[in-house]
Amino acid sequence: MSTISQFALLFIGGALINNILLTRFIGLCPFFGVSGNMETSMGMSLAVVFVMMMASTATWVVWEFVLAPLGVGEFLYIPAFILIIASLVQFVEMYLRKASPVLYRAMGIFLPLITTNCAVLATATEAAKPGFFKLNIPVGASLSLGQALIYTLGVSIGFGFALITFAALRERLELAAVPRAFKGSPIAFITAGLLSLAYVGFSGWFGL
Amino acid sequence: MNEWIRTFRQGIGIENPLTVLMIGLCATLAVSTQVQNALFMGLAVVFVVTMSNVLVSVFRNAIPSEVRIPIFIVVIASFVTIVDLVMKAFVPGIYQVLGIWIPLIVVNCMILGRAEAFAYHNKPLLAIADGLGMGIGFWLVMVVLATIRELFGTGAIVWFETTLVRLPAGYAPPSLLLLFPGAFLVFGFMIAGTRWLGERSAARAEARACRR
Repeated sequence: MSTISQFALLFIGGALINNILLTRFIGLCPFFGVSGNMETSMGMSLAVVFVMMMASTATWVVWEFVLAPLGVGEFLYIPAFILIIASLVQFVEMYLRKASPVLYRAMGIFLPLITTNCAVLATATEAAKPGFFKLNIPVGASLSLGQALIYTLGVSIGFGFALITFAALRERLELAAVPRAFKGSPIAFITAGLLSLAYVGFSGWFGL
Repeated sequence: MNEWIRTFRQGIGIENPLTVLMIGLCATLAVSTQVQNALFMGLAVVFVVTMSNVLVSVFRNAIPSEVRIPIFIVVIASFVTIVDLVMKAFVPGIYQVLGIWIPLIVVNCMILGRAEAFAYHNKPLLAIADGLGMGIGFWLVMVVLATIRELFGTGAIVWFETTLVRLPAGYAPPSLLLLFPGAFLVFGFMIAGTRWLGERSAARAEARACRR
């Protein structure tokens, strides 16, 4: 398979077919937490794209050049990856505050929240050490750095897309008349269920 | 002792992490396709939350508050690694199915939340009660969700290839319940149900108080 089509498959597989929020249930806390209005969900999506790309690069490099060669990856990868992500996010926050106030205002408050967002850890783990999601992509047991980054980009854009769609739906739901017991979170779950029903339609595309 | 029991019951009832606080949802929705998976996942979560609560509580005076979050994460990550390796060795079939959900227990907000909100300010014995209560509250809701999904989604409940319960032969199960949307839908109805029950019992208690 040519490189381009492999990249396209990784991207589409990450963004739509294996959408991390609606078909894998990863990162649901921000999905229900910040989807109250459009603006915050856009800031959150931007921050997730940014952090995920950096986290995947870092974990890929550490796995490839430190953990795997030393043979300690199997039992050290969980603490190693979460520490890398946590400290990376902290540094990015400090750097952004100094270097780019505009960007910091757009996504600053979301950065600390993202540290304990399972979507970032899941994607970074998958990029460095594939196999958990059963991607069904004929690229062998490990991804190259380029493939890992394309995959991460797909996943994070899929995350943002689902989050923003859901926020748009919830803004409308605020005004809808729903039974009292369903007000707030129960109706949000049911809406998420219907939205995720739409994503079921993508499964099987390109045999993925 | 009374305080111990009250703390324990809080996690199961009025502060239930799933139906009331709604934290730690990801794992619950994802692994609740089978009762068997939900039981093992719940066991792992109960173990990690209780042990990390105890350790954080024992060392609560030695942990400086500026770096407490990284320390909590490392404590949690170590217990998760234990669970990860033990499950891989003893129940490889379940480990295969749970997959990424085992390492992701590290970032389950419920566990970090308990370390931060409870264990860091309380004595070890109470921290055990809190960990067990929260863990078991999480476990119960997950198992109920999994029972509904497995029973009505496949028509039977299976435990390691032995069928425990089977619905009448004429029942044709809808695959929707087993697919991803089913989890959201069933859970939405479950929260609405618990909320309705809670409101009803509150109203009754109020009526009883008025009569007196």
